[in-house]
Amino acid sequence: MNNALLALTISLLFGIGTFLILRRDMMKVIIGFGILSHATNLYIVASGVFSGNKVPILGEGQGHELEEGIIFNDNLAQGISGLAPQITGVTDNAQFVDPLVQALVLTAIVIGLATTAFILTLAYRAYEEYGTTDVRELRRLWG
Amino acid sequence: MSFLMDHLPILLIAIPLAMAPAMTIFKGQPGLQKVMDIGVNFVLLALAFLLLKTVWDGGIIVYEVGEFGKYGIVLVADLLSSMMVGLNCLLGFLGLIYSYDYIEGKSLNLTYHALFNLMIAGINGIFLTGDIFNLFVFFEIMLLSSGALIVANETSTVTKISDKMEATLKYLVLNMLGSTVMLIAVASLYASIGSLNMADIAMKIRLLSEAGAVPWHLYAIGLLFIIVFGNKAAIFPLHYWLPDVHPTAPSPISAMLSGVIIKIGAYGILRILFVIFAPMKAVFAPIIVVLALITIGLGSVSAIAQTDVKRLLAYSSVSQIGYVLLGFGLGTVTTVAAGIVYLVNHALAKGMLFLTSGGIIHHAETRDMRKMGGMINSSPLMAAAFLVGTMSIGGVPPMGGFISKFVLFDSGLQAGAYIPIGIALIFAIFTLFYMFRGWIYIFWGERDPQYGEYSHHKLSMMMVGPIMVLAVLVLVCGIYADPILRMAETIAQQIIDPQPYIDAVLNRDIRDLTSIAEYLAGE
Repeated sequence: MNNALLALTISLLFGIGTFLILRRDMMKVIIGFGILSHATNLYIVASGVFSGNKVPILGEGQGHELEEGIIFNDNLAQGISGLAPQITGVTDNAQFVDPLVQALVLTAIVIGLATTAFILTLAYRAYEEYGTTDVRELRRLWG
Repeated sequence: MSFLMDHLPILLIAIPLAMAPAMTIFKGQPGLQKVMDIGVNFVLLALAFLLLKTVWDGGIIVYEVGEFGKYGIVLVADLLSSMMVGLNCLLGFLGLIYSYDYIEGKSLNLTYHALFNLMIAGINGIFLTGDIFNLFVFFEIMLLSSGALIVANETSTVTKISDKMEATLKYLVLNMLGSTVMLIAVASLYASIGSLNMADIAMKIRLLSEAGAVPWHLYAIGLLFIIVFGNKAAIFPLHYWLPDVHPTAPSPISAMLSGVIIKIGAYGILRILFVIFAPMKAVFAPIIVVLALITIGLGSVSAIAQTDVKRLLAYSSVSQIGYVLLGFGLGTVTTVAAGIVYLVNHALAKGMLFLTSGGIIHHAETRDMRKMGGMINSSPLMAAAFLVGTMSIGGVPPMGGFISKFVLFDSGLQAGAYIPIGIALIFAIFTLFYMFRGWIYIFWGERDPQYGEYSHHKLSMMMVGPIMVLAVLVLVCGIYADPILRMAETIAQQIIDPQPYIDAVLNRDIRDLTSIAEYLAGE
């Protein structure tokens, strides 16, 4: 039930963001980008939840001395469904989430901050030059 | 010296990244700023060529940033990356010299130097990184700095400020959308495969396909990556930002945009679709071929209708990147090599053409080609340089463009792709037509007397110098093309068979290079 609600929220946010990007006012477009980036970040975080007791923690003998040279000792040919990396061997009932996706989301949020700041300044300058925030007026370069 | 050789890949990113705040610190002394920037960029160019030579002689260089080894972020300098870094640093250095006379003084002093160095750092990072999320981060660095550079003020007042605002808005909106899609694609790839290291993903996808169990969403992720890199490379249907942005940017930034930044899309398609998604490229290659053919057609036909010289060159860029992707999409070693030769020649020629168009605009005080004519009398150097560029884009010998078109069509016919090469040939005739018509409009005949005389503003050496250097390079690429052809063939072999890349990154112990010798000896 939780997963279904989360998936529904993310898809709803994507839909709202896409709808707003196609609006006529420049500010609505920028807010649409904000919502779209929220949806993307939520999507990334939601992909970091593991199920069961398969977690990306290397146990004994699961390191990098391998004949094929892959980084984690997960045998992909068996049990391919689900999230990776999955290493069995941790048997206690702890609940783990993937910390790497949280690092990805932090980076993405900061990048979104910088881009939003820049495009907001640019939208204000464009409003000063054109006198309107209607994106349909941005057609002086057509040809 | 050994410090240099040990840390060469990271220096190519760290030096311009450190120069950006240094330029802002020294903004009180514009003279010192200019000298420092030229000096450091020349050192960067030398380092880039040193990297190219080292990789050509010694094989793939893998540099581990930090102490996590291959579990962390790696910088991989294989031959394709080194060549693109060399191209970027060359065009960046020449564009920077050109900017000194082209960009208005106050803007140059306050923001331009820092942003230009950041852009070069971002592009070097894109080419050198071996980690797919790091690719996204460097994409954003490059996007923001190039977007801010498009609105730099120029000394000539031909382009209106409102046009620049509109163009930058379009650039930013469409590329932010591309970044969102890239984030979704990278996150989905991580969630499916479990690693962010490009070589590791390649290895795991190979194992998955050998076990016969590739999940269907990997194909969807591949299509998302085509959208992302197609957005950067401006192929159909994602090319609509390019004809508005490239003309309104200042000419050195246009040269960097058209010369290097759209090649990032082509590089991404090579790296992601050929190295990482290697077992599935039979599904993606026809898509790339079809999109490339439509792009060639659309760009060529649209360019015929243009009267603005920079917009003509921008549509020409759209169509030429279609040729590059046609070479990549056809899939054999020789066609990929031909695509890479085309990429190099187009970068040099189009970079030079955009720089020359800046000189033409300074001279004629207008961008409309119908108002020009007979400029060959007053600026013969610009005429010669523009002629070299026109011949190269049109594919006329002895310029580099002839070699690249010849190799592309020859390898395409050998690969048996008769219909795509036929379509590409027809539009090559269009290319020849619009490029030469542009040259004739600008330089031959007489200027309509109602527009008066040309300005007697002599173009300074700082603007003419880089143009001449690039013209000589285009000529050399045409006459003595053997080194580039050999390099392109080696690169294509490394792309089609990515096992050396994967081995270089993954078969290494953390922090201990001597154990590789024992490992290889003990096998």
